[in-house]
Amino acid sequence: MRRTLLLGAALLLATLVLGASSASAHPLGNFSINHLTAVAVSDDRVDVHYMLDQAEIPTVGERTLSRREVLRRKREEVAERLHLRVDGRPVALALRRGRLAYRPGAAGLKTTRVEVDLTAPVRNPRRVELHDATFPGRVGWRAIVSRPGSGTAVRTDAPSGDPSDGLRRYPQDLLQSPLDRREADFRVRPGDGTLTAPKAEGQRISTTHASGDGLTAAFEDAASGEGVLVLLLLAALGWGALHALSPGHGKAMVAAYLVGTRGTARHALALGATVTVTHTIGVFALGIVTLALSQYVLPEDLYPWLTLASGLMVLGIGAGALRARLRRARHDHHHHHHPEDLSWGGLVAMGTAAGLIPCPSALVVLLAAISQHEVALGLLLITAFSLGLAGTLTALGLAVVRARRLLPRRGPWARVAAVLPAVSAGLIVAVGCLLTARAVPGVM
Amino acid sequence: MTLTRPCLLKLVLPVLVFAAVVAVLALVNRSPSIAPDRDASAADPATLPGDTDSRISTLQRAVRTAPGRAQGYALLGETYLQKARESGDPSYYTRADRAYGAALRRDAGNLSALVGAGTLANTRHDFRRGLRLGLEARRSAPDLARPYTVIADAQIELGRYSAAERTIQRMLDLRPTLASYARASYYRELTGDLAGASQAMRLAVSAGAGSPENLAYVGALLGDLELARGRVDAAAGAYRQALSAGGGDYPPALAGLAKGDIARGRLAPAARRLRAASDLLPLTSSLTLLAEVELAAGRRAAGRRDLEVLRAQQRLQRSAGTVPDAELVVFEATHGDPRRAVALGRRVYRAAPSVRSADALGWALTRAGRGPDGLVWARRALRLGSRDPLFHFHAGMAARAAGEAGVARRELALALSLNPGFSPWLARQARKALR
Repeated sequence: MRRTLLLGAALLLATLVLGASSASAHPLGNFSINHLTAVAVSDDRVDVHYMLDQAEIPTVGERTLSRREVLRRKREEVAERLHLRVDGRPVALALRRGRLAYRPGAAGLKTTRVEVDLTAPVRNPRRVELHDATFPGRVGWRAIVSRPGSGTAVRTDAPSGDPSDGLRRYPQDLLQSPLDRREADFRVRPGDGTLTAPKAEGQRISTTHASGDGLTAAFEDAASGEGVLVLLLLAALGWGALHALSPGHGKAMVAAYLVGTRGTARHALALGATVTVTHTIGVFALGIVTLALSQYVLPEDLYPWLTLASGLMVLGIGAGALRARLRRARHDHHHHHHPEDLSWGGLVAMGTAAGLIPCPSALVVLLAAISQHEVALGLLLITAFSLGLAGTLTALGLAVVRARRLLPRRGPWARVAAVLPAVSAGLIVAVGCLLTARAVPGVM
Repeated sequence: MTLTRPCLLKLVLPVLVFAAVVAVLALVNRSPSIAPDRDASAADPATLPGDTDSRISTLQRAVRTAPGRAQGYALLGETYLQKARESGDPSYYTRADRAYGAALRRDAGNLSALVGAGTLANTRHDFRRGLRLGLEARRSAPDLARPYTVIADAQIELGRYSAAERTIQRMLDLRPTLASYARASYYRELTGDLAGASQAMRLAVSAGAGSPENLAYVGALLGDLELARGRVDAAAGAYRQALSAGGGDYPPALAGLAKGDIARGRLAPAARRLRAASDLLPLTSSLTLLAEVELAAGRRAAGRRDLEVLRAQQRLQRSAGTVPDAELVVFEATHGDPRRAVALGRRVYRAAPSVRSADALGWALTRAGRGPDGLVWARRALRLGSRDPLFHFHAGMAARAAGEAGVARRELALALSLNPGFSPWLARQARKALR
């Protein structure tokens, strides 16, 4: 019978103690099995990247096995003990690739590193839960991190940051325990790849975007004091201009409106200005709500409502325009050169509808600005961004106005020009319907 | 229709609104003032609500709020130490060590930090430092029981048995707790009073503790004592209790159940349990026993693989500069290089001149072909009257090598009769030697 006393702290344990304090050994002890699971929820699939860092002692225990056999065992453990539930029902994760590598460890021994990709097909999930039950009872660093997917707006308790850099280094902060997360819960809505998650375990929630874009980068540079502010503002402007080219910024709407109402260059400029102001105010308003009610409301929750409001507004504008056209078509058959029926009210409403939905990247910058206490800087960049956004829309409007003038007054084109207002009004209605329809499932 | 000319106010209004919003947001968004957290640093960690993990996060918050206070760090260290015992995660020992260091830098006389640093020093086999810290703690609080646990542990491992006896008696007089009963039990066991030892350990179990892990720990020790007295069923009961107290996979209790299997001659389930236990926590003791069970069952390849793991562990300890202990010496002598075991044994005995160290050095000498010297050290190991079958096995083999056939016969027979959970591989060697 061998035993020592030292209550609780068995002397025997000491054999493992200094291993942790010396720089040469594995920081979590040379018998630890550390794993990290990265999860990305998209609208059509859930991707899981499982990483394993196995310290020296368990690696020695598998010394006589072939690489293939070791990898097979690890994959089996993952397949058996990594559980995914989608909307309350268990869903099987299909194993994709697996890689195994040995890395030099302490005392000339090796450590094992395994990475396995898994995926599960899903359809528009609302709730995804992951339970990592691999290597139960073993000592080690256990983490689940969230990554943005595509076509979704995800909110989760699993942090987006990984302080271990893919299980390559383990923070030894005295006031921070090693991570021990085996559960993660993902609330999913249709979206465009946003992820709302704490940056690190126990930290505040913040939003990131699938494509870490130029505006965010410009803000990070400005906040850390790198780069010339004027250049960064110009960059933000450029990003806004580029961003307006991506789908869903009311370009079709604006063009159709200007065509239908026979707008002039002045109208196009006014419309651009309205978009700038509305977009900036929209982001600010959302920022204020987030600041004041961060505990109750997340900006993501407001998106569907804003989309709905914007959609209904567009629908209203379109319906009004359509009714006016139809009435005129019936009564003023013979007048071709009636005065422009464009009103400031309609123009502002149009601009508001186009600018009401804040761009996710602008919101990300605002939230980052709030969390880094650089609000003024963030707002400056967002204003520049909005200006760029409006610039593109204005340019588009001007082009449309020019193009209309080029249409010949006679011949078959004249007929096209005659029905254009009605067609454009119909188009606006269609866009409004689409926006509203997209917003409804998010609101319900 | 003509456009109305926008008036100046309409143009300026958005700018004004913009400026106002920026001002408001910037004001609201100033650097956060840190709200004073609930002051948990004055409390005893064991009385804080929740399990060890929630106590840790409470104390981490408290330390962040009041980083200048020594007591917060000391209690955090204590909780880290408890977490290390529960999880076996050595990174918590490192954290505990740094927390105690931080506490002592802020207040060199902090009692909790002195006791904790002493416990940690003992855990790392630095018993002289443990004793020094324990005595320092006792000077500042002579009527508290806690410093005595550190002092008693260090005295026992330093071979100062009469001093240890007085310390433990004083501890029992001050406060009969799980900690003091457990030490009384160990002292009785060392002196061969197994019945008294298991009685004290039962008192320790019934005294209870703040954490289930402490209870599981003494439960497993009680099982060992019952097994040493040949009461296999009582031992299994104690191990099972310890297992459930420790959450169903407490490695020492699993290893204990395996010893019960060995006592009943069932080597296959013993090997399974020992493998499960050492997968969770690769303690030298359970890995060695596992290797010896595999060797005794004729599974030489599996046994060799386990010994390989043990050797890897040794290499890691050597490269990390860990202070070796008697167990390592015995392993090296039995399964490694006896000559190196002798050198290691001398070092261990110098650092911790206990009966255990004497036994280990004696066995290393015997294995290195120096039977007579081995027997001298084996007698030293048995001077308190230990009933440990390993001690008697080592003494018997030393006597045999020294040509004292009568002593050898007596000691080996005793080793075989004492504890039915004794290593089956060594038992086979003892039987062979008896023939």
